[in-house]
Amino acid sequence: MSGAKDRMRHKKMRNQPSNMTYSSSQEFPNGEGSGGSAGQGYSRSQHTKGPSGYGQSQQASGWVRGRQDGPVPRDEVLPKYITASMFAKARAAEVNSMLKAVSKTTGSSHVFGALPKHMRRRAMSHNTKRLPRRLRELADRMLEKSHHAGQKEKKEQSKTKSRRARRRHGNLLLEFNRRQRKNKWLETHIWHAKRFHMLKKWGYCLGERPTYKCYRASYRAMSSGCLLQDMSYYCCLELWGPEEQLMSALSRLTSKDTGPTFAAVLCVSGQREGNTLLYKADQYPHQPMGPAQFLWRPRNAESSLRQLWIWVHPTIKQELLSELQVVCQCFEAVSPPPSETPVEAGPSDQPSAPASSDLKSEPQHPGKKRKREGDGKEDKPAKKILGDGTRSPMTPVSWRSAENDIVINDLSMEIVRYRLIGPLSHAVLTETLLPATNTEIDIESTSSFWWPQHCKNKDSMSLHKQQADVFQLLKGVNSTSELPAGCVLGLTVDDPRLTLPKKRVTAALDLQAAQDVDEEQRRDLTLRGVPAPCAQTALWDQDVRDNVTNNRVLEQEMNKMKRELLVPGSRLPVFPQSRVPILLVHQAGKQQGEERRGWGSGWDLLLPKGWGMAFWVPLVYRGVRVGGLQMSLKHSQNKCLPHFPHEFPDCPAGVRFQEEQEVELLNKFKRRPPAKRTNYIKHGCLAPFRCPWQRLTEEWEKIVKQDGEEGKLQSAEMEGVISQSGEDTPPTSAFTVLRSRKVLRQLSVWSKPSSARNSRVPRGCLPTPLLNTASAMELQAQWRHCLVWVRVCVLGKGLPTLHTMLCVPTAEDLQQLRKDPRSIGPKEPRHKDHLQHLLKRRSKRRKASPQFPASEKDEGTPAAVNKDSSSSSAPKDNQDSVVTSTHPNLSTSISKGAESAVESSSATDLSDSCKEYVRGLWPEPLPSVSSHCSRVTLGWVTQGDFSLATGNGEALGFVSLTGLLHMLLSQPADQRGSVLVRNPTSLQYRYARLHVEA
Amino acid sequence: MLAHCTDDRKTPECSTKSMDPVEYTLRKRLPRKLPKRRNDVYINMKTDFKAQLARCQKLLDGGAGHKEICIHGLGLAINRAINIALQLQAFSQGALQLAANTSTVELVDDLEPEDPDEAGEPLTRTRNNSAIHIKVFYPNA
Repeated sequence: MSGAKDRMRHKKMRNQPSNMTYSSSQEFPNGEGSGGSAGQGYSRSQHTKGPSGYGQSQQASGWVRGRQDGPVPRDEVLPKYITASMFAKARAAEVNSMLKAVSKTTGSSHVFGALPKHMRRRAMSHNTKRLPRRLRELADRMLEKSHHAGQKEKKEQSKTKSRRARRRHGNLLLEFNRRQRKNKWLETHIWHAKRFHMLKKWGYCLGERPTYKCYRASYRAMSSGCLLQDMSYYCCLELWGPEEQLMSALSRLTSKDTGPTFAAVLCVSGQREGNTLLYKADQYPHQPMGPAQFLWRPRNAESSLRQLWIWVHPTIKQELLSELQVVCQCFEAVSPPPSETPVEAGPSDQPSAPASSDLKSEPQHPGKKRKREGDGKEDKPAKKILGDGTRSPMTPVSWRSAENDIVINDLSMEIVRYRLIGPLSHAVLTETLLPATNTEIDIESTSSFWWPQHCKNKDSMSLHKQQADVFQLLKGVNSTSELPAGCVLGLTVDDPRLTLPKKRVTAALDLQAAQDVDEEQRRDLTLRGVPAPCAQTALWDQDVRDNVTNNRVLEQEMNKMKRELLVPGSRLPVFPQSRVPILLVHQAGKQQGEERRGWGSGWDLLLPKGWGMAFWVPLVYRGVRVGGLQMSLKHSQNKCLPHFPHEFPDCPAGVRFQEEQEVELLNKFKRRPPAKRTNYIKHGCLAPFRCPWQRLTEEWEKIVKQDGEEGKLQSAEMEGVISQSGEDTPPTSAFTVLRSRKVLRQLSVWSKPSSARNSRVPRGCLPTPLLNTASAMELQAQWRHCLVWVRVCVLGKGLPTLHTMLCVPTAEDLQQLRKDPRSIGPKEPRHKDHLQHLLKRRSKRRKASPQFPASEKDEGTPAAVNKDSSSSSAPKDNQDSVVTSTHPNLSTSISKGAESAVESSSATDLSDSCKEYVRGLWPEPLPSVSSHCSRVTLGWVTQGDFSLATGNGEALGFVSLTGLLHMLLSQPADQRGSVLVRNPTSLQYRYARLHVEA
Repeated sequence: MLAHCTDDRKTPECSTKSMDPVEYTLRKRLPRKLPKRRNDVYINMKTDFKAQLARCQKLLDGGAGHKEICIHGLGLAINRAINIALQLQAFSQGALQLAANTSTVELVDDLEPEDPDEAGEPLTRTRNNSAIHIKVFYPNA
């Protein structure tokens, strides 16, 4: 028998039970104990007698089973007879083992393992019908078992529901409510979710950008058409109270330095909406919270109480709310009336905003109602819409003051806010909205709807007429930017679904209507804005809002009525419940700077909740483009306004945003294989994913201080500064963003080059003091640790991206620019990646001496010892480099000095930081951020892109105030405001012009 | 109007209606926008002169083939509008004719008070500026 055969046999026999080898030693005592040798004789005879050739073949092939060592010789005489029982007993063991072998499957324990290979099929494991019938039962059992193991009980239950059942209205609503437990949906959510990339942000699900390509088209819509956005996620806080008390309370949150406050005359009258920046109480200029829009309700003859709406971003709502409670001393939570209270119900029972209006008409559908009750859910919470992502349903929404009469209400998600941007937004609105008609009918009849009751009041009717007239006048105004900024128009309109066009159309200016308008009145409107009383609207009243929301005609009913119209396609009659109070708020366009005046102006449309989709679809049918969060960012960028929270690094929300952004960018960076990553160390970019503003301001302060004290006591001073800087970094003075309008205006004039064309100071501007060292020092002393928000336009090629460095050009750079205005700019010498070097060296060393696994630790200790000595020297080196870097000629030597310092410090830090060391990034203790490169860093870009408006790269960012003044002082007058920009992934500097927007 | 005005010092200033450069910031509004035909060209001072000239030329002899175009210039751009019209005429070797009209355009300025809380109503001023409208056309002959 060859080896291979042997192995084969071994393999075959592997699974055979061992007692198949029927040893004779066992056989004799057990099987044939009584028969003695005679029994053996019988068995022998059976072989020859039964299956005739069996015995022979066995012997011929050498298959001898337990016989070789038997005492009986082969050629023994066969027995004459055998006893059946004896024989069977003797075979029993063999039979048993055979049965066992058959029943046991080989290989895997699958049922079809029992099948020969050629009968197995792939799909057998899923479809048992493909198996032979005898195996089916077993397979079924196993299939069931595997299903049970993989799935949870709950999921299985939902699986059993058919799609039809799942899509049934009530079940669908439950599902929707479950899905918005964490992040609430806006009323237009479903519309957006079908078309947009959705983001879960700030407790809401918001559309970021459409799934189709429309970036340029959206820009075009903003500049020449109309772009629509759903801004309902902005939170509205309502304040009630006597005017003086409100004013005194709110004045603590704002400062006149930053522009109009809550007390601005036009805003107080309710004629205009105002923008302001909120600070923590009495903290100006520190601890800003964020921007807010506010709107006063026009004074009412009946009551002395004033009503104020403050619209803020959801990230600062809670902060503002607590701050308002402090300044207004409103700590008494007012529990909402019991009929509306949703407190007992769990969050899953809170119907969603889009769903709620459908739910509340349930009494009309008794079947549905019964079903919901059958579900074991109470139908009560269906009344209240609590689609607010910024608070839990348990918290109160209203607070009253014990000392004064101020009441704070949280109206988030109570009012829908749409924003229309672009010159055509005007035409879209006038086409979509129709002031409520036939006001005279059924004055006598009593009705539960608000409009008929409203009609009974003569004053309100005359007001309505006035408002409708103004709205007609708007048709004569061709562009949104012709109106005074922020004017407000209240209106009552018919349900826009009634006038929905059959097809999507493009709104255009109605020339005919424009000519019909009385020229004198139109002029008055553009000059003075909407008269104050016209800003009044019923939208301010909670009762009316609820009434309108609860009596909305459902889409379904509307369609039914349309179907039953006598003439298909004709207009539906107006129902009494289809009057909606709305508020139109004008949004100013670009107001700062010289170019693109009035760009991006538009209207905000405020609606009662529940009516969102009823207005959204008609607006979309007028050919507007819809934008998401991305477009609101671009809008504010083109308008040269800082966008919240991206460009508010001193606000808590801005800090949080920066942290999130850093984590996101870092993760993205780490996803690349290390060899394919950008090596930011080599590019001399210290912090590509964040901006260490605090470090920057402090370092610039030091630079200037050093510069001022050049001669005196340099070494001693330096020691002092160093020791100071060590302790100074903590929170003593956190950086702030300069927002004082006066100072900004001054800076704006200073940072302009004084060429012939721009030298003429526009009339009406403040005479600013000339830029000199004294005035600059004064400003610096007043505003310490300040950042200035700037706009940077690249002069030639180049596209600044996120966290692009803004650097101070040296004197040679400026000369170069003067010689050749189109020169591309200087280049940063490539930095050396010391860390990589060190790591490589170490790994080599480790390889050389693998028998010492502890070598790393050994290395660590001398480094730690070194650290003590170098930690005092390294910052000093840095300090030196900072000092010298103020002299531009020496800048290259500085960078070397900085590098050497960096090297020494990095070498020491490496041992402890190498665990979190990411290849291509600086480890945590950063060297001097301002003077790391050959050009001194002034600041960073927070928002950079190709500007479609100007046709080249444009960026928004912050620079250190100290640094900016220092730079401006050192630059020749005709080249003031020239900076260099360098992307984090490039070594090429580009020339750019810096503008301070004021 | 100034019911909430607490500071007495400021009241005399509120009453002064005359414009004081220290008190107000001037913001010019854009001129009124009128519907624009395809053959209307508004001349500005920001776009390159040559580009504007080429644009007019293209309108006259391109595929559009307008028989006449209107060149509008406002204020500082009047000079340039005239310049462009004359250049067009010169290039056409006398084929084009010009017809100029002048007009006055009312412009609106907003005066934003420096101290918005205390000052009176923000002023809106209107001022007039000259404009020119040049019809450049091929005579029918």
